[in-house]
Amino acid sequence: MPGIELITGTLALTGIAFVSAMLLTVSRNRWQDQTNLLVDQVNKLLPQTQCAQCGFPGCKPYASAIISGESINKCPPGGDAAIVALANLLGREVEMLDESCGIQKPAAVAKVREDECIGCTLCIRACPVDAIVGTQQMMHTVLTGICTGCELCLPPCPVDCIDLVFDLPAEADVASPASTEQPCIHCGLCTDACPRDLAPQQLLLFRDSLVVAGSLGLSDCIECRLCDRVCPSELPLTVTFHEMKAEIAQQSLAAKNAAAAGSRFYRHEQRLSASGHSVRERPTAADKANLLLNLKK
Amino acid sequence: MTEAFLILLGTIFVNNFVMVQFLGLCPFMGASQQFDSAVGMAAATTFVLTLSSAISYLVEHYVLVPFDLQYLRIISFIVIIASLVQFAEIIIRATQPILHQILGIFIPLITTNCAVLGVALLNVRQSLNFFEATLYGFGAALGFSLLLIMFAAIREKQAQQNIPVAFRGAAINMITAGLLSLAFMGFTGMD
Repeated sequence: MPGIELITGTLALTGIAFVSAMLLTVSRNRWQDQTNLLVDQVNKLLPQTQCAQCGFPGCKPYASAIISGESINKCPPGGDAAIVALANLLGREVEMLDESCGIQKPAAVAKVREDECIGCTLCIRACPVDAIVGTQQMMHTVLTGICTGCELCLPPCPVDCIDLVFDLPAEADVASPASTEQPCIHCGLCTDACPRDLAPQQLLLFRDSLVVAGSLGLSDCIECRLCDRVCPSELPLTVTFHEMKAEIAQQSLAAKNAAAAGSRFYRHEQRLSASGHSVRERPTAADKANLLLNLKK
Repeated sequence: MTEAFLILLGTIFVNNFVMVQFLGLCPFMGASQQFDSAVGMAAATTFVLTLSSAISYLVEHYVLVPFDLQYLRIISFIVIIASLVQFAEIIIRATQPILHQILGIFIPLITTNCAVLGVALLNVRQSLNFFEATLYGFGAALGFSLLLIMFAAIREKQAQQNIPVAFRGAAINMITAGLLSLAFMGFTGMD
């Protein structure tokens, strides 16, 4: 009877899958610390500047502290957005930013005025993400791609030769492209015109929710402007799509940079702990004063 | 004992899975940019390969054969391999977070490493006993690790060389892999 074979086959396979699933669940509970997972999630929401303005040596330490009860409003670089995201994740009240930690500033990178640098290496030791290169008696410089703008290198510098260069966003000179004065009438002409079989009117509809637009194939748009040409309302479709794509690219770049800064901080921490130091032992203004005193002698 | 030694020697050099049987080429090319991550990948694959050849032997002889279910061999082996890979990933994530970050997508991709399934299926075809099957898996894994680490070391050296523009990237890697394969052909005489 062929039925029997089918049943034993199904049972055997289900059995194998069941046993493996059991083992996996057990080992996951055994190996994977749930609080660690939560710390990782919280850490992802923090901006990864490692600026220590919260009073902890970096973002990861602050994330662990949040899990064990620290308040969520101590991150000036993250600002209100980070507080709201953390409150949502942890189910806590949204609070105002704790101004005693600092205020939110635009993104910046540090820059060494190189002819003034005396090569004291204090800033190198202060940098939480190893973004400053140089050595004793040699000029130091900041790797701008890696610098998170945490300002930790500013106080120890004995000759105050480090500046913060703010990366101000360019003034938005064009008005919002698709204005509501000329609404989309959902005629579908653009859908017929699109050579990539996209639905431009749908993409336009979801211009504020980039994730949805992305799943509708925004990245497949080749910006050929055929939809612009057929649109009876003369909506600037292609321009809108171009800006949406640019925004997505910017977001993913920011996420990538944050992850890189996080792992650089982790390595920094590992290296220090291997050599018996702690991340908390950063040079401060006191070290600067000491150095200057020694120089005078 | 000599038997065991011969199996190990045979799988590592003579029938090396990567260079002679051309299995498991994707992690060989994909996870060999950095020496450190190649070592991690080799360790993870060794773990998965050895265990999966042992467990798939048990499943074959105590589940599939008694119930006459050999036609389910591939799918049940894949289930076993996939769960072992998950297991390895859990361990790596718990013990080596940085390695986990570096390897990233390549850990789940061990599932689709054809060498892993290949070894499990070849074990069945060669009708080895349990000990031999496990050893065969372990030897195959050692051979894979040897090649992966060797290739990563070569690639790290290569990255510092002044390679003609036309050969940079995948091209020179393919050529290097081809030369390595030729070198491994030299072991066939030992069989």
